[in-house]
Amino acid sequence: MKRRVNVIGVGMTKFAKPGASPEYYEMAKEAGTKALADAGIAYKDVQQAYVGYVYGDSTCGQRAVYELGLTGIPVVNVNNNCSTGSTALWLARQAIESGAAECVLALGFEKMEKGALGNKFDDREPPMGRHAQVMIDVQGISAAPPAAQMFGGAGREYRFQHGTKKETFGKISEKARDHASRNPYALFGQKLSLAEIMASEEVFDPLTRFQCCPPTCGAGAAILCSDEFARKHGISKPVYIAAQAMTTDFASSFDERSMIKMVGYDMTREAARQVYEASGIGPGDVKVVELHDCFTANELLTYEGLGLCPEGGAEKFIWDGDNTYGGKVVTNPSGGLLSKGHPLGATGLAQCTELVWQLRGTADARQVQGANIALQHNLGLGGACVVTMYRRD
Amino acid sequence: MADQLRYDGKVVIVTGAGNGLGRQHALMFGARGAHVVVNDLGGNIHGGGKSSAAADKVVEEIKALGGKAVANYDSVEDGASIVKTAVDAFGTVDIVINNAGILRDTSFHKMTVDDWNLIVRVHLNGSFAVSHAAWPIMRDKGYGRIVMTTSAAGIYGNFGQANYSAAKLALVGLANTLAQEGRSKNVHVNTIAPIAGSRLTETVLPPELIEALKPEYVSPLVGWLCHEDCRETGGLFEVGAGYHAKLRWERTRGHSFKLGRGFGPDEVAKNWSKIVDFKDGEYPTNINESMAPLLTNMNSKSLGGNEFIDLDEASRSEVTLESSYDQRDLALYALGVGAASNPLDDKELAYVNELKGDKFYALPTYAVMPPMNAMLALAKEGKQPVKGFNFGFERVLHGEQYTEIKLPLAPKGKLKSTFRMKAAYDKAPNAVVIMAVSTTDESGEEVAYNEITTFVRGAGGWGGDRGPSQEVNVPPAREPDAVVEEKTDPSQALLYRLSGDWNPLHVDPAFAKAFGFDKPILHGLCTYGHVGRHVIKAFLDNDPRRFKSIKVRFAESVFPGETLVTRMWKESETRIVFETKVKERDKVVIKGAAVELYEQVPQRKPAAKAVAAASAPVAAGGPVSADVFGAIGKHLAANKGLGDQIKTVFQFQLKSPDSSWYLDLKSGDGAVKQGNAAAADVTLELSEEDFIAMSTGKADPNKLYFGGKMKVSGNVMASQKLGFLQKLDPKLLEDAVKARAGAAPAAAATPAAAVPSGPNSADIFAAIGKHLATAKGLGDQVKTLFQFKLTGPDSSWHLDMKSGDGSVKPGDAANPDVTLELSEEDFVAMSTGKADPNKLYFGGKMKVSGNVMASQKLGFLQKLDPKLLEDAVKARSSGAAPAAKAQAAAAPAAAKSGRGAEVFAALQKKVSGGKVGCGLQGQILRFNLKAPEATWLVDFSGKTPKVEQGAAGEAHAVFGIADDDLVALAKGEAQIRDLYQRGKLRVDGDVKLAQELSLLDKLI
Repeated sequence: MKRRVNVIGVGMTKFAKPGASPEYYEMAKEAGTKALADAGIAYKDVQQAYVGYVYGDSTCGQRAVYELGLTGIPVVNVNNNCSTGSTALWLARQAIESGAAECVLALGFEKMEKGALGNKFDDREPPMGRHAQVMIDVQGISAAPPAAQMFGGAGREYRFQHGTKKETFGKISEKARDHASRNPYALFGQKLSLAEIMASEEVFDPLTRFQCCPPTCGAGAAILCSDEFARKHGISKPVYIAAQAMTTDFASSFDERSMIKMVGYDMTREAARQVYEASGIGPGDVKVVELHDCFTANELLTYEGLGLCPEGGAEKFIWDGDNTYGGKVVTNPSGGLLSKGHPLGATGLAQCTELVWQLRGTADARQVQGANIALQHNLGLGGACVVTMYRRD
Repeated sequence: MADQLRYDGKVVIVTGAGNGLGRQHALMFGARGAHVVVNDLGGNIHGGGKSSAAADKVVEEIKALGGKAVANYDSVEDGASIVKTAVDAFGTVDIVINNAGILRDTSFHKMTVDDWNLIVRVHLNGSFAVSHAAWPIMRDKGYGRIVMTTSAAGIYGNFGQANYSAAKLALVGLANTLAQEGRSKNVHVNTIAPIAGSRLTETVLPPELIEALKPEYVSPLVGWLCHEDCRETGGLFEVGAGYHAKLRWERTRGHSFKLGRGFGPDEVAKNWSKIVDFKDGEYPTNINESMAPLLTNMNSKSLGGNEFIDLDEASRSEVTLESSYDQRDLALYALGVGAASNPLDDKELAYVNELKGDKFYALPTYAVMPPMNAMLALAKEGKQPVKGFNFGFERVLHGEQYTEIKLPLAPKGKLKSTFRMKAAYDKAPNAVVIMAVSTTDESGEEVAYNEITTFVRGAGGWGGDRGPSQEVNVPPAREPDAVVEEKTDPSQALLYRLSGDWNPLHVDPAFAKAFGFDKPILHGLCTYGHVGRHVIKAFLDNDPRRFKSIKVRFAESVFPGETLVTRMWKESETRIVFETKVKERDKVVIKGAAVELYEQVPQRKPAAKAVAAASAPVAAGGPVSADVFGAIGKHLAANKGLGDQIKTVFQFQLKSPDSSWYLDLKSGDGAVKQGNAAAADVTLELSEEDFIAMSTGKADPNKLYFGGKMKVSGNVMASQKLGFLQKLDPKLLEDAVKARAGAAPAAAATPAAAVPSGPNSADIFAAIGKHLATAKGLGDQVKTLFQFKLTGPDSSWHLDMKSGDGSVKPGDAANPDVTLELSEEDFVAMSTGKADPNKLYFGGKMKVSGNVMASQKLGFLQKLDPKLLEDAVKARSSGAAPAAKAQAAAAPAAAKSGRGAEVFAALQKKVSGGKVGCGLQGQILRFNLKAPEATWLVDFSGKTPKVEQGAAGEAHAVFGIADDDLVALAKGEAQIRDLYQRGKLRVDGDVKLAQELSLLDKLI
């Protein structure tokens, strides 16, 4: 029997650049404490915790939640690259939905280093070797950061297929900065003009510096519970998960010699399809989306992957302003990974936090008017993609 | 989120809260849910009086707002009582606002001790006392926020407020440390410098300003700093009239004097503009950052020096100067130092009559002339033979000279003299420097060694070693064993100067006067030549060949025409101590002097040793890639089973010089080989230099890769497995270097090691490359592609003599006509004419596959100019690139001219027919070609399409592409999409037009 899963408390830290954050457990404590306070429950009411992070030795999850209390509950450490946070959320949702628990904490944090992402273990087969091989076959390898080569390569492929202007990619960053300027939790609070974005150093054609998300430190948390638990604690009209799906790589990631496919386009499409089908809500009903804009190129691809615009229609969608306030749907009101920042383990939960605030109507300057349905998309190379539909009645 | 920041249940102490800022802070906290302790002594602004009224009134105000508050009337110096009030009333304390303050303004000269003490007590001791009492409570609960109140007067100074400024800035220091001590306990400490209209300022500011400076404009910052969400700690803020800003320290780049160099106030003054220049300033935020430049400078310890002598540079300097001489120079010198003044003295004629053949001798002291003259030639350009000697020759006096003959000088020769600094002594205020000069002949053998000791006026004083002061070569207290007396000629200096010393001091009477001499003086080295001759005359019967060395100190000047008296003492069979006086003035002019003799005339060393000497620098020059691979081979042998672990074949393509190696770690123990692997998992391209750096742990492979210095293709992730390279035992590498240099017996798997002292196959191929470059057109004659597979150590080369001039490259050719397999040793023997190719073949030592007859065409190998080979060996020894040179030499001249023009000519032809795809109609395309650079404009906007080189103008799309890639595209060998995806075709502007480049397809 499937039960409805509610999100009754959320919280996050202000995202910070590497070196400027407190220890990971302190960030986790802050996010967790805020989520508990937001839900109005005590830590002792939490029956399980799923804790996500990418960089850290085993059981950092315990070290983090021990800050909230020592109640002996199951704590599961979750590691799924950039989609780590939403993977923790996915497990928490599953625990409630299946009846295994009544109230669960999903927590994610990351303390990142400066510079581009790289492998930490050099004595064993790297997990993304097959992905890298596709890239090497299709476009070779350059000195740019590997992730920028992968997503930038997908951008090249799209641009060649559709004749897309370089500025179209820059435009996404301009929007992200504009949104982030209204978000006190964002790393980059300053707006940037399209000219400034295009003039920044080229990282990997067509991506410039300001079109790549920064390494970030931060934490996010969400409290999930059953209807019964919500009722018992006097919580009315909570935000709930209307549907959620996770996908991993299909054969197309490796077989089609396509950069767009290699960076997980089909994972996005299939996860979205499952969510739309299970929730009975289509992309046209969605008012607000937090999606995985690690690079501008991926936000553009994701518009099409989620069906927010037709395939090949992203350029028009962007220049028509259909991705921001006053348009068809507001994408990444928080500023997204590009501007709010991308602490890998925390990102999925920060997206969830933003959407819960949006659905409650408490998003202040970022509030999307009449938001009652929200979509979350979180993607990790390697790979995993989690798509979640939230709703508040 | 939408709610205001709250302080529900938080307990706040605000000192001086009866009026002004403190009152406003208290009201703000009270209105937002905090429990407030309103402290106020109720005194006046000068610290007098006491009353409870002010505090009580604020308590009432807070209560009226619905908040909780209690009053406290204690002095802040009694901080413990104030904290006790908080604990008694509300159970704890969370926030302390140190705000209370008074003024005792007066100019410093009128300030009393009381004025000073009172201000320090209230501001500094008061803030300390309250914070100190609250501190343990905050630490225990893991929460606390403290705000100090400083002032612009403290930060910047203000007339009449010396006491107040001092006390206020002291609080910043207190907060800086408390912030660090409190950080881990979540106790945050910040400082504000408010400007507000309060009782303290209303006396000095006009009313309209006071209005704009309401306390209400300061409290919000205090509120945020004390909120639990605020992470700020250790901050200093200026706030007032709505303005909020953070302050930090700024530091200039500054200037570091090298340690070991003397520096005093003069040097500080000289560098003042740098010390105070804030351009490129930095912002240290903690003690570590503060110390960083200082620690850096501590590691830069210098050997010493000053503006005249840079010992660091001088100690590294090594300058080689060339010179030549012949019989005429020797004879002229001999005359210059007074030889053969009696033209009938047959023995002295030996120095001037070259017709005597092998009885014509160079005077040994001539050995100082080639380096001296080379140095004087430099001096004319104002340069010194030792870098770092920055003094002019006008400061220099020749103090001592030592000349050692290694081989009797030939009648003529080309010499190279290498100058080094031997020592520099600081005889403040003067300096003494000793240059060591080694002179070699054309064979590279050392023929002479000189030490030139000069006294440099005014160049000392860097605080260095004063050097030895002991007298040497002191004559014994007995009658001399020999005395030679010789009158110099009045024109002696004029004759001597023709040997090279042009200094006007020795020829121009006016110039000499200016230097304080009555007339021009004799050159010190002219006297030197005289006294050397005296010893030869007295002890060697005028046969100079056993003369080994001479050492003198120049004590006094000699005037031409004076009489030299040299008194000599034979100390042993090979050593004579002597001293020379000027008879007329009875002055010692040469002292501390000695000549040493050889027992037998020194002989040139056998040639073989000379070769060994020449190859010695190889060992000194550090490892080359062959050494590293040799060491890897040993590593693999010592660490069995690495192949089974790593399961990867690594191909290395090294550049400058070019070489190819592969590490087959697919299975078993693994192996390392020269050449190209059949199926590499990953290929790494990098320079020889970076490879060495990486393998010796001096460069990080990841940094090389991300820095673009190492290209990785194939399974890029596999390159991560190369970590073991950095764990190579340095000993293995050392052995490999030694083995190559020929110092160790056999065995290392490097080509050089197999032929320690002679050429190796790489040298031979380099020489072949040069041969091809000079012979021109050999390819057209030979029309054959030769593949060489050498073994022991393994390497692979191919000689492409299919057409043109031909070329030679490492690695395997795609379609060789003939393949020759033989050992490195036999190949070297064959190429140096020591082995007959036919005998090698029939003896089974050389396998030939493919077109066997083609191997007959290799005869030219045996005609290689030995000089080319020698050069190649030398080039390798000096770290130059044999293979690279060979390739560069062999590269056809046409390679750099580019074929883009050909493509565009063909395009012009094609489009002039008028047929253009509709997608291009009206479009203008620009091509920016690289390697070589060129720019072309293809314009479809007019009636007739135009293709122009170098034309200016706007374009709808700009294509950046290498000449080679454009040609490949035009030949149909490359695809647009693929080039674009790989970043080899760059498109700016309308990327759709890239599709239309298909019109280039099959153009040529």
